[in-house]
Amino acid sequence: MKNSKIVSVLYLLALMGLGASCKKEIGSLNGSTIEELSSNATKFQLNNVVTGTESGMRNSIDFYLDAVGMIGREMYRFAGSEPRYTSDLLGGGNATLNNNTFYLTNPWNARYRVVKNCNILIDAANNSTLIFPEEKKGYLGFAKTIKAYHLLLNLNLTYTNGVRIDVNDPDKLGAFVPYEDALTQIAAMLDEAKTDLTGSTIAFTLSSGFDGLNDAAGLIKFNRALAARVAVYRKQWGPALTALNESFFSLNGSFTTGAYHVFSSGPNDQLNLTFFPQNNTGEIRLAHPSFAANITPGDDRIAKATLRTSAASLDGLTSNRDVWVYTSSTASMPIIRNEELILIYAEAKINQTQLPDAIVALNRIRTGHNLAVYSGAVTQAALITEMLFQRRYSLYFEGHRWVDMRRYGNLGQLPLDRAGDDVWEKFPLPLTEN
Amino acid sequence: MRQMLKQALLVFMIASLPTLLWAQVPVSGTVTDGTGKPVPGASVRLRNSNLGTSSDANGKFTLTLPGNGGTLEISAVSFKSQTISVTAANATLSVQLTEDVGKLDEVIVTGLATSVKRKNLANAVATISSKDLTGGAPAQTLDAAMNGKVTGAYINANSGAPGGGISIKLRGVTSVFGNTQPLYVIDGVFIDNSSTPAGLNSVTGAARGGSSSNQDNPSSRIADIRAEDIENIEILKGASAAAIYGSKAAAGVVLITTKRGKAGQTKVSFAQDLGFVKIRKLLGNRTWTAERAEELGGNDAPTRAARRQEFLDAQAAGKIYDYEKEMYGQTGFTRNSSISVSGGGEKTSFFFSAFQKDEEGIVKRTGYRNSGLRLNVDHRLNDNVKIGVSANYINSSADRALTNNDNNSVTFGVALSSTPSFTELHPDALGNYPRNKYSASNPIQSRDLVTNNEAVDRFVTGINVDAIFQKSTNSTTRFIGRGGIDFYSLKTTALFPNSLQFQQVNQGTNVQGLTRSLNANYILSLVNNLAASPNLNFTTSAGITQEQGDYNNLLNVATKIVAGQTNVDQASALTANQLRNKYQDNGIFVQEEVGIIDAITLTAGVRFDKSTNNGDPNKYYAYPKAAFSWNLTNSILDGGPFSNLKIRAAYGQAGNFPAFGSKFTLMNIFNIDATTGLLVSTLRGSPDIAPERTSELEAGVDFSLLNSRLNFEVTVYDKRIKDFLLQRPVAGSTGFSTEWVNAGNLRNRGLEVSVNAQPVATKSVRWNTTLNFWLNRSKVTQLDVAPVVLGAFGNTLGNFKIEEGQSATQIVGIDGTNGVIKLGDAEPRFQMNWFNELNFLNGFSLRWLFHWKHKGDVINLSQLLTDLGSTTPDYDDIGADGKAKGPARAALVGVTARPFVQEAGYLRLREVALYYTLPKMPIDFIKSVRVGVSANNYFTSTKYSNYDPEVSNFGTGFSTGVDVMPFPASKRATFHLLVDF
Repeated sequence: MKNSKIVSVLYLLALMGLGASCKKEIGSLNGSTIEELSSNATKFQLNNVVTGTESGMRNSIDFYLDAVGMIGREMYRFAGSEPRYTSDLLGGGNATLNNNTFYLTNPWNARYRVVKNCNILIDAANNSTLIFPEEKKGYLGFAKTIKAYHLLLNLNLTYTNGVRIDVNDPDKLGAFVPYEDALTQIAAMLDEAKTDLTGSTIAFTLSSGFDGLNDAAGLIKFNRALAARVAVYRKQWGPALTALNESFFSLNGSFTTGAYHVFSSGPNDQLNLTFFPQNNTGEIRLAHPSFAANITPGDDRIAKATLRTSAASLDGLTSNRDVWVYTSSTASMPIIRNEELILIYAEAKINQTQLPDAIVALNRIRTGHNLAVYSGAVTQAALITEMLFQRRYSLYFEGHRWVDMRRYGNLGQLPLDRAGDDVWEKFPLPLTEN
Repeated sequence: MRQMLKQALLVFMIASLPTLLWAQVPVSGTVTDGTGKPVPGASVRLRNSNLGTSSDANGKFTLTLPGNGGTLEISAVSFKSQTISVTAANATLSVQLTEDVGKLDEVIVTGLATSVKRKNLANAVATISSKDLTGGAPAQTLDAAMNGKVTGAYINANSGAPGGGISIKLRGVTSVFGNTQPLYVIDGVFIDNSSTPAGLNSVTGAARGGSSSNQDNPSSRIADIRAEDIENIEILKGASAAAIYGSKAAAGVVLITTKRGKAGQTKVSFAQDLGFVKIRKLLGNRTWTAERAEELGGNDAPTRAARRQEFLDAQAAGKIYDYEKEMYGQTGFTRNSSISVSGGGEKTSFFFSAFQKDEEGIVKRTGYRNSGLRLNVDHRLNDNVKIGVSANYINSSADRALTNNDNNSVTFGVALSSTPSFTELHPDALGNYPRNKYSASNPIQSRDLVTNNEAVDRFVTGINVDAIFQKSTNSTTRFIGRGGIDFYSLKTTALFPNSLQFQQVNQGTNVQGLTRSLNANYILSLVNNLAASPNLNFTTSAGITQEQGDYNNLLNVATKIVAGQTNVDQASALTANQLRNKYQDNGIFVQEEVGIIDAITLTAGVRFDKSTNNGDPNKYYAYPKAAFSWNLTNSILDGGPFSNLKIRAAYGQAGNFPAFGSKFTLMNIFNIDATTGLLVSTLRGSPDIAPERTSELEAGVDFSLLNSRLNFEVTVYDKRIKDFLLQRPVAGSTGFSTEWVNAGNLRNRGLEVSVNAQPVATKSVRWNTTLNFWLNRSKVTQLDVAPVVLGAFGNTLGNFKIEEGQSATQIVGIDGTNGVIKLGDAEPRFQMNWFNELNFLNGFSLRWLFHWKHKGDVINLSQLLTDLGSTTPDYDDIGADGKAKGPARAALVGVTARPFVQEAGYLRLREVALYYTLPKMPIDFIKSVRVGVSANNYFTSTKYSNYDPEVSNFGTGFSTGVDVMPFPASKRATFHLLVDF
């Protein structure tokens, strides 16, 4: 009896030891990990990353458009529960832009998240032995093009504060590159991407937003369109025209040809959050009153700012027109389209003082919008004014006005609605970057 | 595992082998109190055995002792215990117990399987008795019932929404991003206390803008447990007391013991509460005039005229409404019925209860219902082996409405904040709700059509085996096995029909969440009690533990739904999300307690833990503990003013495992155009993430004066958290937004003083009173990363900041040319509570509880929203600067966050209750009848301007105390009837 008790106690203790040493490693249960992609990714995995990149390009794009749209005095964003749209972004009273607030951090982080995804795609493609070299070139070309484009969008926000270009190693981030240098490197990245795409095979599928541009030749055209935009930002008029010629630019083509973000209510897809129904209350995007006040009579682009049944007011701001650019929650949003390319053509030609060519392009825009041909002064200055005016209406709420006025040193011309309002030149670097 | 259970069973069967027939001593006796009244339910136990009984309603008991007798221990709640040697010669006992005002004889669990009396305890362990928990003015849920009753705790209700949701932080901030809430253990079963969001964010967009944290206002699952079933709660406040719980104990441990049956006559108790619940405070409305209405039109002349006309028309028609009152002003009816049966024989005893609570909320279509069954059975196989089983089923349902922050102007508060009282929101004769011109939603319509329900089915079942398998004159060895499972299935339903004003784009949204959570744990231990000499006692325990959790949440978001349909397939767009958590933790522990002359107690122990959540799942982390207490009155002091004097010190370490998955960097699903995509997560994992470690040193002195009628307990503690886990924001250019790091160290220091007295003790009046005082100060002593702002909406509106050398709960914000500076601190300066029980006039009992939280700030953004919406009640009042207050405050947005950081101290009469026990029973089968009335939260004095100083937009995490349009707090009044048969 006594013995058996002692034996059983020993038994129990031994078992306790055994039980405690049962080993178990529980993996990630909620999705694949970044590490799984870096070691010999399959084509399926690479294609997933391509699609994720395209999908992620839309993240927080509404915050971006609201921020640059408000500072560029294109529109007002009213929100019942968010005062900082009308205070910080417009510099209401003593309010200034904050370096750790959603209007900056959300789009900034979303863009770099896509850059990160592009870097993951580049690494994964480079490490994969399961794809042909031509296919690899396709992945690399796509990744570098999108990466360059997204760096450009963040550079638009921080301007002379610059952006980081080398961000592949999160523990060893490259330094901030000042504006001009950053533009140079972005242009170089686009050129490198073009080289990759040349002779590549596209093994991945893009959304319908890239219809017509989703093969190697198409992606080169898309890449060159972006390169043309970067070139005019860099005042490199000749290269801008060269890039245009290799893009989908068509002086007499449809304004809407181009690459788009598309939206759907499908699973894990996104809706276009820049859409609000007309005459919405509480959460509203309104056209800045100057949009309708300054428009040329007869211009069909007035349709981008429809009259409300009643005006809306908040925080001393009032407007009676809704922004009506994205007219449904699944309306596409341009990344770059031919109307901009025509205006880039005009801009480059004006700056090269080939004014008649420029006027042809500007007239293409004017007549395309139900206006008479240009009859103003044929001087470089006057045509720049006209070009910027057409860009304002053609590219309304597509994220250009503020950048354009800044490029030409015209921020002082933007209207102030309230005493004490400010027009900001640039965003501060996000707090986390310091 | 199965093999092990088999072995355990074997051991336990061996131990229960029939023993030899010994001689027997039949003992009988009566237990009475100081005044000679019988004490029912007193426990009578034979020392060093599992043999025992309890006294009946007349205080009588009988017990048959084996052998030639032994030492009986007689104890009862709130009386000092007694030991009596019994032989055949003195087998008829008359036991008179004396009252234990200072609860010195209360038995406190100090190990996983061992306990000591409070007078020898080295820690300040807070206890809440059944009477303190539910004997006054009962709260709706268990977590709310604990509020104001725990010395050393900062307990804060997230909102007034039905169904609970309360943050409990013991002795300051124990973690920033790890678990801040204590571990709950009910009868040995580890209880899941997670909060599962209902996916409201897909409609409110709350986490899209300023803060990506969840703001769905879910309840905490501990709220499911029924307070009335609880016999006793012990709160191990820090690592020094809780080290033996290892890596789950950093935030403290709440040990809950449920009621159990006692041998004797079967007792049937019936309790019925009826009452009502009302909003605690209405804020009121801005007084509108034609001019003020006109201002809403801004600078657009036609709109100004239209607003003015709208007001004038409404005024003429007498249609100026009080929408706040319409939304929040409902008087909710509450009822709570329960029946319990308890009793048992010599071998088997049981406690059974069945209950249903049904309460309406202060908002139409909100409420809380909780029903359940409990069966606790104890069975003694023989003198040496005892088994206890508890089984609890709970079904609860909470309708919690749509409140808190949002970015789409759809929650009630946000919609109301910009809605003037002269606009029409009521449905017309055909039932059509007008569009709210002033917001994106019509709150009256939202209230009438939106559903936000949490429904839970939960099983908690545990087993407790206590087998003595070695017994000699001076040594007893027991096997103690405890364990069980906690399983629940939670269904969240968030339904937004397509007729809602704000569903124009989505055409109706139906969010359904299904959560399945299974937690299982066991503790197997061996405890040896060795009386080496009459003055030297050793208690040695050793054992193993295992905890497993498996959590699976499936959330379906359907939009474009078929009108009137509530199944998720009745829609044209459906997105599914799934979140799984799984872990297994293993532990080994040993503990040695030495008792010297019943005066000095020395304890040392260590626990080794590993977890699959750690970067290295096979690495054991050690959590040691040591404690010392010396009861001077039991040793060197004899006589003198002290009836009890004890000095004590305890040290211990505990941990907090990283959250599941923090070692991985995930690729998230991001599709486009029906093609599957992967986008890197915004959260960067950390492959070598380690648990955070808390070490706590506490010391104190306890003394009693005036023959134990005045008792003091004074405790100081120093709690250090090393390698605290932080989800810190990282440079966005990395591609991530946050990453997990073990970021640094922080410290909490505090003082707890408890005074307990019986100022009046006469035959007709007895008054027991307890006054507790506590404070905590935290400091980030080391931070290896840059200061981190977190927890709210950025510096413009005020938020928390983890910064070296500063309080962990400091609130910072912009302040004009001062830049970003500290504007406040969420930590209360100190807290006090005052507990009273007054028995008078033979049968009356008056109980009340005051709770005072002195200072401590809240970030109040609700007022900001009403200021921006021009609806604040004091909008037009002239402030000290000669300007209207509302516009003046609103103009400070972007200039300073100072106006939003507001002091939120309060003095609150949490509970007051008067009960009367009928002296004579009308019918003889009724044993006792008590009636009572109680009021909960009926008086609050606070400077805080919004609904309630207790608020948390972000739920129970680190950043409690952010106020964004919460569900308003309520007050309760209840009539009680309790009948015993």
